[in-house]
Amino acid sequence: MTAPEISPIVLLFASIFTSNILLANFLGMCSFISISKDIKSSNGLGLAVILVLTLTSVLNWAVYHFILSPLHLEYLRFIVFIMVIAAVVQVLEMVIDRVSPALYMALGIFLPLITVNCAILGVTLFVEIRSYSFIQTLVYGLGSGVGWWLAILALAAIRKKVDNAPVPAGLKGPGITLIIIGLMAMGFLGFSGMLNVQ
Amino acid sequence: MKAIKNFLKQMAHNKALGGFGAPFETMYGILFGTSEVTLKAPHIRDNIEIKRFMSCAIIALLPSLAASIYYFGWHMLFLVAVAYVSGGIVEVIFAIVRKREIEEGFLVTGMIFPLVLPPTTPWWVVVIGMVFGVFFGKEVFGGTGRNIFNPALVGRLFITIAFPQMLSSSWQVPLSDVITSATPLSVYKTQGVLQDPLMMLLGNSQIGGGCMGETFRLGIILGGVFLMILKVSNFRTPLFYLGTVALFSFTANLFGISAIAPPWFQLLSGGLLFGAMFMATDPITSPMTNPGKIISAVVMGILTVLIRAFSGYNEGVMFSIILTNALNPIIDSIVLAQKFKVRSK
Repeated sequence: MTAPEISPIVLLFASIFTSNILLANFLGMCSFISISKDIKSSNGLGLAVILVLTLTSVLNWAVYHFILSPLHLEYLRFIVFIMVIAAVVQVLEMVIDRVSPALYMALGIFLPLITVNCAILGVTLFVEIRSYSFIQTLVYGLGSGVGWWLAILALAAIRKKVDNAPVPAGLKGPGITLIIIGLMAMGFLGFSGMLNVQ
Repeated sequence: MKAIKNFLKQMAHNKALGGFGAPFETMYGILFGTSEVTLKAPHIRDNIEIKRFMSCAIIALLPSLAASIYYFGWHMLFLVAVAYVSGGIVEVIFAIVRKREIEEGFLVTGMIFPLVLPPTTPWWVVVIGMVFGVFFGKEVFGGTGRNIFNPALVGRLFITIAFPQMLSSSWQVPLSDVITSATPLSVYKTQGVLQDPLMMLLGNSQIGGGCMGETFRLGIILGGVFLMILKVSNFRTPLFYLGTVALFSFTANLFGISAIAPPWFQLLSGGLLFGAMFMATDPITSPMTNPGKIISAVVMGILTVLIRAFSGYNEGVMFSIILTNALNPIIDSIVLAQKFKVRSK
């Protein structure tokens, strides 16, 4: 399979905006909903996701093309991808603990949970299915991360505003958040057919 | 007259009715306003509140409403009534459950909503859109003043997605019964043909005009300027929104990108003027800070031109306003954070 002919710049814009990993593909919802309570930790988690996404998509691309593919071990790809992601997150966790204990405390359980964030594995699998080249993989991983970060920042700011509003008791918290996400995703439908990703 | 006044006042404060007193209180407010005067300081300087904001917006919408009746018939008034009734029912239910007054917000939403629909929309689609818009766009967020997204646009967006055939490909030609799938924007997109500017300004086109309220653009400009003079809407949003659209399409034309229409056509086609004057300026959903207003207007302008030129939809105003509504809180908080940084130095 050869890489599709998409300019990396188009792919960058497509992955940030038109096929946003959260609001167009609905991947990585769990931490999107639970962490978006306040802007500061959303910002921290968003930046961590950018880093992890870029690193793991590139690493997994290399693992797939230089190890799995030559040895005809493609059927092992899911377990290998997950292992690479887990290793990267583990290292990142140690680094954040060392460099910024405050951010480490704020992220708490959600940092290890990045391992099972479906956005991370999703991007890796998209890269594999669409058979992107190395540059395309790098740009797509970075763009998806930036898209995730922007979306969680926007949601966190909205939730801060909604927190003080008399929302019906049954809809407080996750309920109203899901409604906000739904309305945002409806807006993203306007981009349909705009930029091609595969 | 006095009897009605006393009756409404009594009903509004009748303990036995509980929450059901709210409709009477609203009627009292609309008919008689407030006559209470403060005895000691602080005194209010001007009696401007939600009600007057809303009345100004409705006056500004009247030229568009009159034009839509002239071009598309009395059917339009029926749709406004349907929107008022269906939106009003949701509003009244929530007011009763919350034991609060009915806010007048839905009067403007119910007026704007039919104006941004195609002339051939059946009444039951108006009901679905209006109920969805008021319920999910406004009431679940806590009612008037709390909504993040413009309720009329939420409803319009929902029915655009739910009934694509009805909402984006059957347009009535003004002053006739002919239904066509062509509007100035779609004709430009498929054939690259421009329309006569004067005709677009007045709205009496030979092809499909567009949504009911957006065709008579002279009236929209008058209404928008009226709102800006009264300071009901902030002049920054329409100015920078329209300015960005013009500048962006002008630059794109310089580079020879033919998918993007020339600036004057962008400004005079589709719902851009209506959206910029009446929907983007919504004091609740637009940013509170002035730099924030400018940033969000520029984002809206860029999104509108891009969606119009490259997406599967012909019109991008609705999508770009909803998308920037979602971004406005973060824009505001970044602007505020920036301000504090400068002060503390």
